[in-house]
Amino acid sequence: MSNFRTFILGLIASFGLPWLCLIIIPVLKYQALSPVAYDKDKDGVEGYYPPAPINRQGQIIYAREGCAQCHTQMIRPTQLALDGWRRGSGQDQEPRPALPTRSNTLLDYLGEPYAPLGVVRTGPDLTNYGWRAPAREVIHQMLFSPRSLHDWSNMPAFKSLYTVRAAQGPVADKAIKLSGKFAAEAGMEIVPTAEAEALVDYLLSLKKDHPVPGVAPAVAAAPAPAKK
Amino acid sequence: MQTTPSSADSDLQADNLRRAAIDKSVKGPVLFLFLNGAFWLMASTILGVLAAIKLFAPSFLGDCPVLQFGRLQPTHLNALIYGWGIQAGLGVMLWLMARRSGQELKSGKSLLYVAGVFWNIAVTLGLLSILFGGNTSMQWLEMPSWIWPILLASFLTFAWPMVNMFVRSYRPEGFLVSSWYILGACFWFPWIFITANVCLHCIPSLGALGAGINAWYVHGLILLFFTPVALGSAYYFIPKITGQPIASAELAKLGFWALAILGGWTGMQAYMGGPLPAWMPSVGALTGTLLLIPVGVVGLNHHLTTLGKHNLVATSPTLRFTFLGALFYPISGLILALLSNYTTGATLQFTHASYGFQIVAVYGFFSMSVFGAIYYIVPRLSGCEWLSVRLIRNHFWFSTYGIGTIVVTSLVAGVQQGGDLNAPEMWDQDFMQLALNARPYIIARAIAWTLITWSNIWFLIHLMLMVAGLGRRSSAPTLLHSAHDDTPHAAHA
Repeated sequence: MSNFRTFILGLIASFGLPWLCLIIIPVLKYQALSPVAYDKDKDGVEGYYPPAPINRQGQIIYAREGCAQCHTQMIRPTQLALDGWRRGSGQDQEPRPALPTRSNTLLDYLGEPYAPLGVVRTGPDLTNYGWRAPAREVIHQMLFSPRSLHDWSNMPAFKSLYTVRAAQGPVADKAIKLSGKFAAEAGMEIVPTAEAEALVDYLLSLKKDHPVPGVAPAVAAAPAPAKK
Repeated sequence: MQTTPSSADSDLQADNLRRAAIDKSVKGPVLFLFLNGAFWLMASTILGVLAAIKLFAPSFLGDCPVLQFGRLQPTHLNALIYGWGIQAGLGVMLWLMARRSGQELKSGKSLLYVAGVFWNIAVTLGLLSILFGGNTSMQWLEMPSWIWPILLASFLTFAWPMVNMFVRSYRPEGFLVSSWYILGACFWFPWIFITANVCLHCIPSLGALGAGINAWYVHGLILLFFTPVALGSAYYFIPKITGQPIASAELAKLGFWALAILGGWTGMQAYMGGPLPAWMPSVGALTGTLLLIPVGVVGLNHHLTTLGKHNLVATSPTLRFTFLGALFYPISGLILALLSNYTTGATLQFTHASYGFQIVAVYGFFSMSVFGAIYYIVPRLSGCEWLSVRLIRNHFWFSTYGIGTIVVTSLVAGVQQGGDLNAPEMWDQDFMQLALNARPYIIARAIAWTLITWSNIWFLIHLMLMVAGLGRRSSAPTLLHSAHDDTPHAAHA
């Protein structure tokens, strides 16, 4: 019997330690996290960090459709990967930004019930998609018929988020404009459902590179001397 | 021990009777679990084919929302994990624990049936919920939040008699390595499962920490449930069939405790460079690499135990599957180390290589070992022998080549994809190159799952015939290198 007891105690000790350190204590500490106020003098901005929550209604659709299987929401630091240098990966939409987009912190995801960091990066990273997003109707077109924008795309067409209906009078403003073989039949129009609108709202709310309070933004490197 | 031949004979007979009584006592629940598991395995491989096709041809089968990749892929993996993996694992655990402890299943058999039925109902409802819009997008926990208490209660109903058997058993020699692994699995799974589900479903909002806990859950399930069950089975069947004792009790002990100590820390390295406090993925990267120690130790031990008996791998179906499974343990450990450390891991992170690791661990390593156990256990429970050598061989080779293909292509695809993602010249490119480069590997994956589906359809039919008692009536086991119409020992005569 003592053999059994020793064994069980060994199991409890060996697994309990990582369980306590890696799960329980971080979970308890996470409960105490709250938005941090910016210091106008040091950070140069006012308000709270993170400034705005994501759109939760849309995130439910995002989870339901399994978008996280192919899209990540996490910028890695430059010493690990080049995510931050990808064009349009952050707020700075210049063709050649001076600084890489910063990697993420726990607070960037504050208020999200579960942050869909992603499984495989089959599609582009969406961490800061809100900054580089095209017009609303283009996002709708991408969701409804990805092949009409990129003929090589391996993204599924989420047709069930849209309604194809007979146009009453002139085509509605919010109807998706498709041309060629993708266009709706004559007299029909394709309009987004409330779920599609929520999903787009969510995608537009993805902005996770606000300045971190107390961390001075890295100064742009001086331009390299011209080569001879 | 010196005994006269007659007393040895009667000892042997008493021993055989005792074994038969134990087998009879667990027959129903174990066969129930195997049969349902094999059904889910087939379902999962078919879903695997569909998911792989949907990944390179998204409009295959139309744009029906139910069959989009984002819903199919989790359904495929959940069927593999909960439908097949844990279910068949429980069957092997129950039989092994009964045999190893020398205890019959005393009572509560009907309770086990109820638990088994509930497990399967819960898995069915869970998978349908994923397909029809209940996907939570938490890896391996995609089923809606009301499913997990049912699964947990069913699991505990099975785990309880196993723990009882272990406690009641008489253990003069003290250390029984396979019982330890099985007991560990009984103990770790509920702990990990409750922790992950309570954190992710009951605590209102954990943000990115939730993702870390999710990755910890996936690795915990692989390292502290699938691995111990497969190793417990291998530690039982390899000595049993080769007739040699486990090479080193010290190595076995080291392998067990190193896994127990390191397993719980591993997982969060999946999000290295992410929002988690840096020490959490770092610890995971460290232990994910250090796990090479138990992996190497156990691999060495199995190798030494099998040494000189490799001809049996050719003849015994059980040993052949178990041997291959045991061979996949070091391979999966190596892949985990490649994914975990910050050098190669940064390239392989968020690529198809992570799928390759999950499949090599759950299918290559765990399922192959469980197939070996099933080929040994089922004839003893159903009272008849496997019908066809060809079907077993078919099962073996199609699974082996299928898994080999999936693992190799996923890894190579991972290197390719990681290289593309991190190539400086890709900084302003869209994803066309990535989509096109990944396509051949995904097509290979679809073909590989088709091969595996083919092998599993025959495995399911073969198993169904066995459970129905329609196997061969013979006292000679079905071996792979003797036509079963001849007397099996003719070759040696």
